[in-house]
Amino acid sequence: MKSALKAFAILWAVSLALAVGLTPASAATYRIGLAVPVTGTGADAGKREAIGAHAAVNAINGAGGINGSKIELFFADTGSNPQDAVNAIRKLAGDDNVLAIVGPHYSGVAEATFPLGNRLGIVQIAVASSKPGVAAANRPFAFRNTLTEDKVAAAVVAKFKARYNPKNVAIITDIKDAVSRAIGTAVLPAALKKAGIKILNEGDPVTFQTGDAQFTAQITKLKAMNPDAVGLGALGPDALNIITEARRQGMTQTFFGTAPLMEGNIPEKGGDTVAGTVSGTIWDYTLADEGSKRFIADYEAASTLYPGKFTKRPDYYAVNAYDAVFMIKAAIEANAIAAGGSDLADARKKIKDYMAGLKDFDGVASSGFNDVGDGMKNVHVFEIRGGLWAPMQ
Amino acid sequence: MIAQQIVNGLMLGSTYALIALGLTLVLGVFNKLNIAHGDVFMFGAFAGLACAAAGASFAVAILAGMAAAAIVNVLIERFCFHPLRNSHFLAPMLSTIAFGIMLQNVTTQIWGSDPSRFPNVEATAQLEFGGVLLSSVQIVILLVATALMAVIDVVIHHTAIGRALRATAIDREIAGTLGINTGKVILFTFLTAGALAGIAGVLTANVYSQITPHIGIRQGMIGMVAMVIGGLGNLRGAMLGGIAIGVVEILNDAYLGAAYRDLVVFSLFFGFLIMKPDGLIPQDRTLRA
Repeated sequence: MKSALKAFAILWAVSLALAVGLTPASAATYRIGLAVPVTGTGADAGKREAIGAHAAVNAINGAGGINGSKIELFFADTGSNPQDAVNAIRKLAGDDNVLAIVGPHYSGVAEATFPLGNRLGIVQIAVASSKPGVAAANRPFAFRNTLTEDKVAAAVVAKFKARYNPKNVAIITDIKDAVSRAIGTAVLPAALKKAGIKILNEGDPVTFQTGDAQFTAQITKLKAMNPDAVGLGALGPDALNIITEARRQGMTQTFFGTAPLMEGNIPEKGGDTVAGTVSGTIWDYTLADEGSKRFIADYEAASTLYPGKFTKRPDYYAVNAYDAVFMIKAAIEANAIAAGGSDLADARKKIKDYMAGLKDFDGVASSGFNDVGDGMKNVHVFEIRGGLWAPMQ
Repeated sequence: MIAQQIVNGLMLGSTYALIALGLTLVLGVFNKLNIAHGDVFMFGAFAGLACAAAGASFAVAILAGMAAAAIVNVLIERFCFHPLRNSHFLAPMLSTIAFGIMLQNVTTQIWGSDPSRFPNVEATAQLEFGGVLLSSVQIVILLVATALMAVIDVVIHHTAIGRALRATAIDREIAGTLGINTGKVILFTFLTAGALAGIAGVLTANVYSQITPHIGIRQGMIGMVAMVIGGLGNLRGAMLGGIAIGVVEILNDAYLGAAYRDLVVFSLFFGFLIMKPDGLIPQDRTLRA
């Protein structure tokens, strides 16, 4: 009996040892967070950003991952508002233990999540926020893979002046959306003054609120000023309504603005009404360089994540998210961070330090970050022509 | 410019009046507030848009918007009000909040969160009357809204269904004992209120270009403001309140700036509630009078 027990014990021990030895250890992965809105007012843009980030992860994992380890993307919906976004960052940093976060989207949201990122010691790379000063006010963990609107405005105004030579301009601006308000009240006035163009309503722009259903009062007021052109501090959907109402009231002036104007497929929706409108941004799907082609192919392959007409065409936010994932990959490789490593705080700090010094990144539309954490990118100026945002000659 | 701005305000106010009318009908007859009314407006607008995008005429788009919104409003009665008729008085109202959010999300799934646009909204004739510019669609909205307000007024005050509706508003139980089918009256009320919201949605979307699944939130709130300013439960007051708010909003945007719009509008709302709760038209002219 004794020997039988002994044999059973040996057999059990051997079985256990074999089981442990034969069971593959769960492969360690590099955890990256994604915090963008897929609900609320920014849902469609957020879905395109999510597809962009997944496209990058799929491309990296498809090519063997990072040193043989895959990237695992953890998602949290920022719900298009600061409250949900703060919860999303807490979840990704605290529960999912990600190395760095791609997102958030809005400037107004980033103003809430960036200070939290500093307290938690985790890098966030915002993909749409472009209100000047938001990353600068939240050093050292806040980064924005976007170009601040002052740089876009300077390029747009220069090309606009060369083409139309306006003597005076009137400005209409959103007073609710943080970035549009900054554009209409500070960014465009500064760029116009620098270019020597008079602002008819300087210090007193015509105002509206994001998502207003009608703009009759505003256009009646603008029309009475009879400007040579109209500067817009507006998101694309609002700009489309503004220009449509302006044409209805008989205004024929050209409208111009900066990157947020290019949201929401204005050329397609507006048709001839919006033809000639000028804006600038860092990327558009009409660009045909090799990097853009590669990104578009990866985006299309990943678009099954949120299929449908609202996500069919990538925008510059999606490309920012795509590049941000590759930047994090570069930071992991440069610092030889181990997949599933135990010192998460140290790994996060190394990624932060890498981003702070990143100046020569070869992304689709990204080169790295300046001294205050804002993206370094080329500006392309576009005009609506033939139902598209076409590069302005 | 002031004349043009006042006309702009009348245009905007007439759509607000249609929303306020629907809200007031339900509140007056049923003594319950439908918080999802703005979302019914939004859904009607999208239903009209779907028809217009499929090539239907403007008239068909309006009818589709009215029908869809009327059906949704009846669903609200069936699922939010009827099952909770014996619950705490807040329960049905709270359930309409949930219904409204669900409607926004369903609409987002179908049409997306980016603004959707009616086809050919810019293709409207412009007419000028003494320096005041009006588009053909703006004239249509003014005529349709005015005609609807007149029809509702006549139906409520001079027809059998109107009398039944007012009797139900005063006391549902007694109205029942007098042979009035109060169930049908309530159904009629929700159908009519929904149809009014639907036509307001289609007209708004057509005049003002674009709609989003979230457009109903503010429109519903403005409808409530109009209702309070006009006098709670008072149909003529709702019309007057809607038009007044439209003019106030436009003049505010033109002369003060959009930053003050909500401050001005909701100060009026608060001021009327505190200092003149009966609204602009006295209580003896309400549905219950």
